[in-house]
Amino acid sequence: MEIRLSSILLVAALLSGCSWFHRGNKGPPEVVAEETQAEPSIVEPQVTRRVVKTPKIKAKDFEVGAYFGALSIQDFGTNPLYGVSAAYHVSEDIFLAAYAARSKAGTTSLEDVFPDITVVSNSGRQFTYYDLDVGYNVLPGEIFLGRGRAFNSALYVTVGMGDVKFADKDQFALNFGVGERLLITDWLAIHLDVRDHIFETDLTGRTKNVDNIEATLGLTVFY
Amino acid sequence: MRRLLALVLLLQTLHVGLADAAEKYLVLVVTDPYLEMHSGPGRGFPVVYVIGRDELVTVLYSRTDWYKVRAPRGQEGWVRRADLARTLLASGEPAPIPPYPDFASHRWEVGAGYGVYNRENLVTTYADFGLTSSLDVEFVLQQAFGTLDNRYVASLGLRHTFIPEWKWFSPTAGMGAAYQFIQDVVPPAPLQNNNEMAYVSLGARGFITRRFMWRADWRHYVVFNNQNVYEDLEEWKLDLAVFF
Repeated sequence: MEIRLSSILLVAALLSGCSWFHRGNKGPPEVVAEETQAEPSIVEPQVTRRVVKTPKIKAKDFEVGAYFGALSIQDFGTNPLYGVSAAYHVSEDIFLAAYAARSKAGTTSLEDVFPDITVVSNSGRQFTYYDLDVGYNVLPGEIFLGRGRAFNSALYVTVGMGDVKFADKDQFALNFGVGERLLITDWLAIHLDVRDHIFETDLTGRTKNVDNIEATLGLTVFY
Repeated sequence: MRRLLALVLLLQTLHVGLADAAEKYLVLVVTDPYLEMHSGPGRGFPVVYVIGRDELVTVLYSRTDWYKVRAPRGQEGWVRRADLARTLLASGEPAPIPPYPDFASHRWEVGAGYGVYNRENLVTTYADFGLTSSLDVEFVLQQAFGTLDNRYVASLGLRHTFIPEWKWFSPTAGMGAAYQFIQDVVPPAPLQNNNEMAYVSLGARGFITRRFMWRADWRHYVVFNNQNVYEDLEEWKLDLAVFF
């Protein structure tokens, strides 16, 4: 009972204290603001601002395409090859390129002479690769066709690495290439490429580096 | 009939699209005594036409540092970026030729490179997005070519560049999570053919030219396995990349 009483007193004291603190800052004196009558403007400005949108310049630095040709797989004969390519031109000299292609190996001489021997299973004859390359336009220039036509072109070299899947095994492969890009129009190009894929294998008995050279013809589009 | 109508509508939209496209080219005013147009997008191609002062030039598109333009009388050619940057908009403002991305505060990086992972050859690719100028999120996808197995590794992590203003060489450090998938080549098969991993990394990056850069990284992976043994891997790599 006593506690309750004292707590009521305490609350009362606190409230009064609060009101004491508030004594000082009374609300601002109420002033009845006179309504100023806005003068009606004589001319209503009707400005419609023209939004000028500057068109953006499209960058056409990407190149995608497809190619086909012949791939000579060391010890396994020469066979058709089909692939796709993509490139990004960083500067007028340098470009980054990616290639992916597939071919199917033939038979080795050993298998031809002794038909009972199998070096690689049938599914293992699939030769699939991807490459990540850096390219450099060594000899840019123009190629003339008769008097009235000139096509921009460039002889380039590429170097890179990637994966060669052959005989059901993924191998790390280096590749070196040289190619010619001929631009029929500014967005369509023909490519002639020769590229060597080098990797280490022990398929034919001893471990050695094999060279797998391809010669391809490609068509690419710049966008 | 309905098909025909659809075709007509399609053609109409196509036509409108083309008309729009035709209007969207940027037109600039030449302020130099003349603007040289080359026959191809490269420094060696000959100048085949010049556009005089106060004439209008229509910019069609760009390739690397060159811009394909059209002269008032229809001739087309390639103009060097630095030359085109000195032209003006019709309003008198400078031509909106975007500057090279600033290396210290670029947003995106995409690159690929060579490395060694667990003492085996590694092909690596990555994409990197800058949250701030010094903190990046990176996604790495790589393939390691072992004599016994073939591994695919994907990782997602954070990478901190200590002093992004240092152009040619700037140290970095990072950490993140990774996942490896092991494809068995030579028996015996691995006890576990996929693992979650965590890594810490130390590295460096630097500018090469324009949009081109290099990046090197050393990573230490801890492999989470269910065999109750501590397993770790080491990796180093060197990437070439393009930044935007």
